[in-house]
Amino acid sequence: MARTGPAEVGRAAALLLTLAGPAQAHMSDLKLAVKAAYLCKLGPFVAWPAAAFGTAEDPLVICIQGADPFGRVVDREVAGRRVGTHPMVVRRILRLERGSGCHIAYVAGSGSQSADQALAAVDGAPVLTVTDSDRGPAKGVVHLVLDGGKVRFAINAAQAQADGLGISSKLLALAVGASR
Amino acid sequence: MRLAWPNLSERRLTTMAWISAVVLVAASAALGLRAEVAFRRDLTSQTNAQADILASSLTAALAFDDLLAMEQYVQALRANPRLSAAAVYDAQGRELVGLHLRHMRPPPITIGPVRTEWTDGRVRATRRAAEQGQTLGYVFMETRRDSWSAILGRHVGVGLLTLMGLILMVLVSSAAAKLQARASELAQANARLTEEMGARAQAEEALRQSQKMEALGQLTGGIAHDFNNLLQVIMGALELIGRKASDTPRVQVWARHGLAAAERGASLTRQLLAFSRTQKLDLRPFVVADLVTGMRELLQRTLGGAIELVLDLDAARMPVLSDHTQLELAILNLAINARDAMPEGGRLTISTEIVTVAPGHPLLPPDDYVALSVTDTGQGMTPEVIGRAFDPFFTTKSVGKGTGLGLSQVYGVARQAGGEARIESRPGGGTTVTVLLRRSLEPAAVGVSAPGPEAVVAPSAGATVLVVDDDEQVRTLLHETLQLLGYRVLDADGGAAAIRFLQAGRPDAVLLDFAMPQMNGAQVADRARQLWPDLPIVFASGHADTAAIQAAVGEDAPILRKPFELDLLARTLSSMIGRSVAAERAASRARGEVG
Repeated sequence: MARTGPAEVGRAAALLLTLAGPAQAHMSDLKLAVKAAYLCKLGPFVAWPAAAFGTAEDPLVICIQGADPFGRVVDREVAGRRVGTHPMVVRRILRLERGSGCHIAYVAGSGSQSADQALAAVDGAPVLTVTDSDRGPAKGVVHLVLDGGKVRFAINAAQAQADGLGISSKLLALAVGASR
Repeated sequence: MRLAWPNLSERRLTTMAWISAVVLVAASAALGLRAEVAFRRDLTSQTNAQADILASSLTAALAFDDLLAMEQYVQALRANPRLSAAAVYDAQGRELVGLHLRHMRPPPITIGPVRTEWTDGRVRATRRAAEQGQTLGYVFMETRRDSWSAILGRHVGVGLLTLMGLILMVLVSSAAAKLQARASELAQANARLTEEMGARAQAEEALRQSQKMEALGQLTGGIAHDFNNLLQVIMGALELIGRKASDTPRVQVWARHGLAAAERGASLTRQLLAFSRTQKLDLRPFVVADLVTGMRELLQRTLGGAIELVLDLDAARMPVLSDHTQLELAILNLAINARDAMPEGGRLTISTEIVTVAPGHPLLPPDDYVALSVTDTGQGMTPEVIGRAFDPFFTTKSVGKGTGLGLSQVYGVARQAGGEARIESRPGGGTTVTVLLRRSLEPAAVGVSAPGPEAVVAPSAGATVLVVDDDEQVRTLLHETLQLLGYRVLDADGGAAAIRFLQAGRPDAVLLDFAMPQMNGAQVADRARQLWPDLPIVFASGHADTAAIQAAVGEDAPILRKPFELDLLARTLSSMIGRSVAAERAASRARGEVG
């Protein structure tokens, strides 16, 4: 269970500020690739309500809201992948809405819709929201963090349940703050 | 309860045991194999399942590179004592986490093909870790090879069973081989025995044959010798008579000598006939002491001057049932044997006494017996000789001296009179032969012994006798004898001629030889009786079976045994003719009364 206390948020913010320098771009290439990979690997461990897909052949849509930090990396990552019967596609959007057709949404925040706004827009909808501690304090169901130099994630199980999403226990077991 | 058990032959039993052993071995081997296959299948599927579980558990860790989580999962496998190695690989097949236990070989660094196989006593399972169709990595798991003790433990039951079956097979095979060997040994022994028995039988047969030939040689030699002697006497006497026919007193002496020799010859042939059992015994009650007394002179003559004859006879006068003539002959035989055993002289004692045989005797019924003993003081006999002394043709005399029939005849007489004969003797100690004769309940007939010579009876004057004999000399002799007696004689040289005579007219009597070619005496007699029912027929026979003659012509038929004395012929013929004439007269009287 991800704990999002004020101390942690503060630390994340400090990290974000630190990484905002010129050296940050080089360092973060690797992390971005890892994050892109994780974004694509979450699918198999999440169960969406049946209504989230029209047919078995409907694609699982990964949306990237706001400023896209990954570029082509994420496209390469999803190429040819399937989750069950669903092929994976990546869609880049400015605003995340209920009707956006997203199953997984990386909420980066943008000028037209902040991260919090985007999260609020799909609150209660079966959209696995992913936030990045590098991007800001906003926390979706999955919140990517750095732990000991490694990219890890925290999971807000209550939010997931509220959104009608099933999170695999295997995934929960790996989440930061989950008891092992 | 008694269990019925099929009665099987040893061979079948062995075969069944062998088959059982083979089945046992085959069944245990099959069971063992099946158990091993099942064990491997189980172990393979268990390992597979565990690998699958591990793979499934590790998907998230693989997806999100959580080595710590992987490590934890893999380390948890230590609890499985069967595992020797485990490893986790990423989707590209690179090893992420490896574990090898208990000094076993480490897992491969790069992943092999996804499969589960049994190699070299281990299960090696490589499984894909996938979530929702996405391959996230691979896991590898290897079981340790079973220790020998574990394998042994797993197969000990079946192994013991197989071992027992094998031992049983070996035992049964060796037992069967032994059995076979024993059977063939037995068969060989049996074949050998049969062969030996055959050889022995052949040898015995050859021995018997040679004994027979030897006996025959002795017999013929003995008889020829005796007969030659007798013939010598007879020929000499006749020759002398021929030369000095006019010297009447001396002719009578010579004739007596010749007759005595002929009588001895007759006695010899009687002995032979008695031996061949063709002569019927004439059993009548008489007193043995009287018989011995009557023989005194004959015996004294036979023994000669060097031997003293002692008679020691009981006075009880108990009659016995025996053949008078045969017993006489037996005593004479014993006396001759005694004489021959005492060439230097000695004493011959003939004694009689009454003995009682108690119940339980092996041969004789309990009764009173007359024991007639003839004891000499001669050279005696060895036990071997005693053992064979009663055997026919057995003799210790040299060829030409004895026939081997004497003691045999003695024994025959004793047995036929319901008694037995026994010999007591030892070399140098003399010999006693005892003949036991059973007493007779009938009183002794008077005058049986030695009927005195009567005057030759004169025949009915001019009575006609038909002589039928195929032997011309005998016929001629009989013709002349009968003529001498005053008969008219007709000669027939066989059955056919006789019947021609009979058809021509009725003779007063027929003297008929029994053994003739073409028609024998019985057949001629039959035909004669058809023609002349009351015709007196007298048979003269040299050898023929008394029973056969009696069977052919009836019990009453008078039989003259060749050689017979003139007197006997005359008496027999005259009595037959006389009887016939008397019957004729009675018949004619009866006719007269009726008329």
